[in-house]
Amino acid sequence: MTAITIDELPPPEDSTRRIPGNKGMWAGITCEFVEFTVLFAVYFIARAHFPDAFHAGAQKLSVISGTTITLLMITSSYFIACSLNAIRQDKHRAAVIWLVAGLIIALGYPLTKALEINWNLAHGINGESGIFFTVYYYLTFTHLVHATWGILGILWVLARLLFRGYSSRDYAGLEALACYWHATDIIWLVIFPLFYVLA
Amino acid sequence: MDTKTNHIRQLTTAWLALVTLTLLSLGLSEWFRDIRLLPLLVAAIMWIKGAVVARCFIESHVAHPFIKRVLKIFIGIAPIALLATAFFGSTLARWATL
Repeated sequence: MTAITIDELPPPEDSTRRIPGNKGMWAGITCEFVEFTVLFAVYFIARAHFPDAFHAGAQKLSVISGTTITLLMITSSYFIACSLNAIRQDKHRAAVIWLVAGLIIALGYPLTKALEINWNLAHGINGESGIFFTVYYYLTFTHLVHATWGILGILWVLARLLFRGYSSRDYAGLEALACYWHATDIIWLVIFPLFYVLA
Repeated sequence: MDTKTNHIRQLTTAWLALVTLTLLSLGLSEWFRDIRLLPLLVAAIMWIKGAVVARCFIESHVAHPFIKRVLKIFIGIAPIALLATAFFGSTLARWATL
């Protein structure tokens, strides 16, 4: 039997200094926030210069598409948070079901975006339709790229979860993925009102 | 933070609040289309939704101070910039002209 002394015990984790997931993911999320802060700065400077173009442009976009994407992002975020909640209690089967549900809902985002682009093109809206649409396309496409990385991340974490790669003792990978997806959700919650609500 | 506790009720409440705020923002943009304070309402809803995701889904209130700060700053930037553009747009445009 191995003896253990008080000195060898790991220090208790400070509950107010927790790193959800891992440090690497937070370095990535911070970079993602910096990238979108720059893109939002371009949006606001363009909006300040061309307020009429931004007012008129927002009225031409499909509000249904924007709202659908918002509800999909919010719901997939919720399902992934529920998956994390389940694995923390060692409910493996529930964690898998929630994560699969999160993946299915998340896949609705690129699908809705494809339909929205078709709708835009049918209504003569492309990247050269004016300053508002140029900003709209680069911001929403950049977000779609980030969401695609998130979907690939969900697939990887789901594969690990299916092979019992996570438990209530070690779920850092699942939590890191959840944090990335929530951060991507927060970014969309900024994009949605800027393009679809402020008409 | 007790990670073993079942937080499903709190998560569901947060999700319902986010859905409600999303639909409310659409309603507000229709009902108050012509009022000058619309950007203020939109900025407030944008900030609340970001704060709900950060607190309830990411659990930022028990996270490392750096993570708390990063989230607070990012969630606050867009609403402030929206208000600056809505109420001081011409000044901002003058400052940002090359």
